[in-house]
Amino acid sequence: MKLLIFTPGLKASAIGRMTCLVSNALIAQGHEVVIVRTEVNALLDRPSHDFNTRMISWSDEKQVLEATAECDVLVYQVGDNYDYHEGCVTWLARLPGVVCLHDFFVGHMFYAWAQKNMEKADSILKHWYGDEVAKRFFKFANNKAFIEGTKDQAPLTEWIASQALGVITHSRWGTPRVVRSCLGSVRVVPLAYDAPGESEVAQGYEPNKFGRMKLLTVGHINRNKRVADVIHAIAGSPLLRQNVVYRLVGAADPEMVIELSTLANSLRVNLVISGAVDDTELALAVGEADVMSCLRWPSLEAASASAIEAMLYGKAAVVTDTGFYSEIPDDCVEKISHEDEVADLRAVLERLYSKPSERVALGERARRWASSTYLAENYARQLVEESIACQKLRPIVTAKAYFVEVMKRWGATDDLLRADDTMSALAVMG
Amino acid sequence: MWGGAEELAVNLQKNLVIAGHHSEILRIPFQWEPATRISSQMLMVRALELWNVDKVIALKFPAFYIRHPNKTLWLLHQYRQAYDLYDAGQTNLPPGQVGDDIRTLITNADNEAFAESERIFTNSEVTRRRLKKYNGFDATVLLPPINDPGLFTGGQSGDYIFAGGRVNGMKRQHLLLDALRQASPNVKLIIAGPPDAPADGDQLRETVARLGLGDRVKLDLRFLPRETYANYLNNAAAVAYLPFDEDSLGYVAMEAATADKALITTSDSGGILGLVKQRETGWVAEPTTSSLADAMSAVFADAAVTRGYGSGARDLWNSFGITWPKTVETLLQ
Amino acid sequence: MKIALVSTFVPFLYGGARNIVEWLQGMLEKEGHQVERIYLPQVDVPDLLFQQMTAFRWIDLSSADRVICFRPQAHLIQHPHKILWFIHHIRSFYDLWENDLYRGCPDDEKHRGLRAALHEADTAALREAKHIFTNSRVVSDRLKHFNGVDSEVLYPPVFESERFHARQYNDEIVCICRLEHHKRQHLLVDAMEFTKTPVRLRLCGSSFRPAYPGELERRIAELGVKDRVTLENRWITEEEKADYFADCLATAYLPEDEDSYGYPSVEASHAAKAIITTTDSGGVLELVQDGVNGFITEPSPQLLANVMDKLYTDKALAKQMGVNALERLSEINISWSHVLRRLLA
Repeated sequence: MKLLIFTPGLKASAIGRMTCLVSNALIAQGHEVVIVRTEVNALLDRPSHDFNTRMISWSDEKQVLEATAECDVLVYQVGDNYDYHEGCVTWLARLPGVVCLHDFFVGHMFYAWAQKNMEKADSILKHWYGDEVAKRFFKFANNKAFIEGTKDQAPLTEWIASQALGVITHSRWGTPRVVRSCLGSVRVVPLAYDAPGESEVAQGYEPNKFGRMKLLTVGHINRNKRVADVIHAIAGSPLLRQNVVYRLVGAADPEMVIELSTLANSLRVNLVISGAVDDTELALAVGEADVMSCLRWPSLEAASASAIEAMLYGKAAVVTDTGFYSEIPDDCVEKISHEDEVADLRAVLERLYSKPSERVALGERARRWASSTYLAENYARQLVEESIACQKLRPIVTAKAYFVEVMKRWGATDDLLRADDTMSALAVMG
Repeated sequence: MWGGAEELAVNLQKNLVIAGHHSEILRIPFQWEPATRISSQMLMVRALELWNVDKVIALKFPAFYIRHPNKTLWLLHQYRQAYDLYDAGQTNLPPGQVGDDIRTLITNADNEAFAESERIFTNSEVTRRRLKKYNGFDATVLLPPINDPGLFTGGQSGDYIFAGGRVNGMKRQHLLLDALRQASPNVKLIIAGPPDAPADGDQLRETVARLGLGDRVKLDLRFLPRETYANYLNNAAAVAYLPFDEDSLGYVAMEAATADKALITTSDSGGILGLVKQRETGWVAEPTTSSLADAMSAVFADAAVTRGYGSGARDLWNSFGITWPKTVETLLQ
Repeated sequence: MKIALVSTFVPFLYGGARNIVEWLQGMLEKEGHQVERIYLPQVDVPDLLFQQMTAFRWIDLSSADRVICFRPQAHLIQHPHKILWFIHHIRSFYDLWENDLYRGCPDDEKHRGLRAALHEADTAALREAKHIFTNSRVVSDRLKHFNGVDSEVLYPPVFESERFHARQYNDEIVCICRLEHHKRQHLLVDAMEFTKTPVRLRLCGSSFRPAYPGELERRIAELGVKDRVTLENRWITEEEKADYFADCLATAYLPEDEDSYGYPSVEASHAAKAIITTTDSGGVLELVQDGVNGFITEPSPQLLANVMDKLYTDKALAKQMGVNALERLSEINISWSHVLRRLLA
């Protein structure tokens, strides 16, 4: 099969990294892959992952159309980041294909896209969520309020799913909206991921070195990683305060750094903020960590690359019991309820500190499970299966698009388009 | 459903073949009830693929949506319920936003079809005017010829007025019955033609009985064989045709004129007014009982005058020069 | 009853599919039914199929009591009492898919997907029908194989069959149908090389392209059998056809793998004449029984010559086979009364 995969290519993109793994697996299985980089133009010249195959840019219309004519299926890697996925959103509207949905909530991407497509955006909001929601959507005071106000009311999952011939996503919790709005089939496939240098990382590890438990959080340090609550949890236990070092590795805004440092100092918690580091340093940090905190709230993604990484590295991981994390087996990670976050976390960390062997066993179970689940080889195979299933849907989707185009040219309103009489006939076609 | 447009198509095809061309008729089923189905019907025509055809002549909505590079319209009907009938409150389009949406859709789609046509003809002045008013397109009037002029040779001036054609509320044959009661006692009337629904025929029968006109009215309510119809018409003193605001002249009127018969119509009958000129080719009455009664009585007041109107009608009709060979030539320009 | 006959067509292309519709209309009207004939334009271009099919789904014929659909994709029409007289699929997506020459599109994922979608849509539409008839066993088998639906074979009769009758049995084998390569008149010409009796051959019909009749002419000259072969490359009128059938010794109809038996073989049967055909002719083998109402041979000129000679030598046999041919028509119910009974059941 010949697949044309639309994805962010730059190294900073975890989705790009995942696509790289899948692409290589596809090629190993005998398929042909061409990659279309989907970042905004300004980011297109950043160095990319090594996809090992032909790569073109989404903004080169001629090349994309030519590649489309030569391939069997289009695949769109979609995540909630307009800067990384502008190309996906633009082409998905024109050429139907299979969507790999990394985030159930794509409100941020929609918001950015809407800036240049206000009329369409308004009509999309009204169509899926009603006039009231549409009115409020662009009027939230800040990002936090925006997320709160839209994650359950208007996540825009339907906006993407309704344009897809079929959807592959990575956990079950957000699928009802996808199923309701996608014409084709929806399947849940464990995210393809790997832990490079896993063995080296494991080698140098000594649990509770110098009697200290190293707690680590990796990634862009923002509020939904619950760092403050971790600090509070540690602070509430003399045992933890004395014996836990909490390290943050990843980019962080200066305000956040000051805020967290101040908090930690005032509570006499041992906090180390390393900032962004290179791959080697990161590997070392993970290698020597005893426990990884992968707490998230709210959790809007279909799968967490960092949690998967933690498990692949055989580390004991602490996660919030929500979304994707709830679907991980109970004996592979420590699940914390969000309602009692600080108290729960304190209890879990105390237990993990006191029983290092249990910790190691937890991490080992996690590693065994993760390494047999998040396989690129499996993802590739399912992607091909889904693509074949979608081919059957394409003629109907194309026919429908033809009629919608004619109706729009005739000035049809949204209501008219949805009228039972006209579009229900398409139901017979499979 | 088989009506004037279908008959026209058949005769157009026949005459195209006579002129040496290959011609086929494409009859497209159209369902306009309920009005929410109309958009699907429009899309249906738009999606049809017409290959192996050099030229298309389209006659009605929504058939003229068919795609073809060489398309000529001979517009018999737009979907009047989206235009003038909508304004007159006689429409099947639902009130409010939905109806408006459908009207907008039809108008835009019509305009697209008109714009992509090579030439636009209409079958009457009324249709031409409406097209210009509502859609802004210019058209040439091309009146359809009658199909078998040889049948309408005229004959004696009988003792009856003949009202032919389909029987229904819009054709208003019942007005003639109401008027007959007030007209001179020597006026007789023959109403002959197929009722659209049994109720239409019943209504006339009931009226004749109620008004006691049984001895002056003959009702022959069925689909008439062509010769029978021609016979009624050829031997009438005058021919009455008074529909409510029809687009076209009406075959009855054209056949009457071919047969040298004076015409009776009403001022709100529409297209037929192109052929009925007061005191030249017949009578244009008000659509009231008394005005019509006067006209009907006048038919028998002075036979010579009536015959004169008949000749006048024939001359006027001939002056239009409406024949099939000419029509075919014009359409294929 | 109000009956709508619906079929698809390409304007100005006339063929068997039109006959079946128009003749049926005539017969139904004779029985007093109100019939409307609706032809819908359609082209079998892969990328345009589903648009056209959707259009057909929107056609409203609810004013008809019954709807009878013929050529694809007319069966997509919706109606509470839909009856199919199914003539053929869009074969390039069905039994001809494996054949590169006939598929008309590449055998890639996209088109395999289209094929799957088409099969599904067809099957769903077929299932809506109250009853499915086909014009041959071949087509019924295909419907079962590809769409899983059962159907009843309803053989299309010829219009006004009274026109055909037997007058005599002369010395001529007659083949009246279009002069085209797949009708294989060349096999009959080649057979003339091997005939041992003075049996004659008459080939008549029009053709789309002059190449094939030209070939036939050349071959006839090559073989030096001009005196025994009459080649008439022109449109044959119905009267002429009835005449030729009335007088001939027997007929031949041996196309390459046709679904249905073809009107010529039925016309010949009404004229009480035997039919020579071949093992790979397809639907005509549902009509002809070897040694009973005709001969079925391998498509070899030698073997064809043998049976032609046989009929010439044994006129009694030719006559008897002709009588059997007439009887065969009743045997397998090739009649308008049967058709009407089944369609209006």
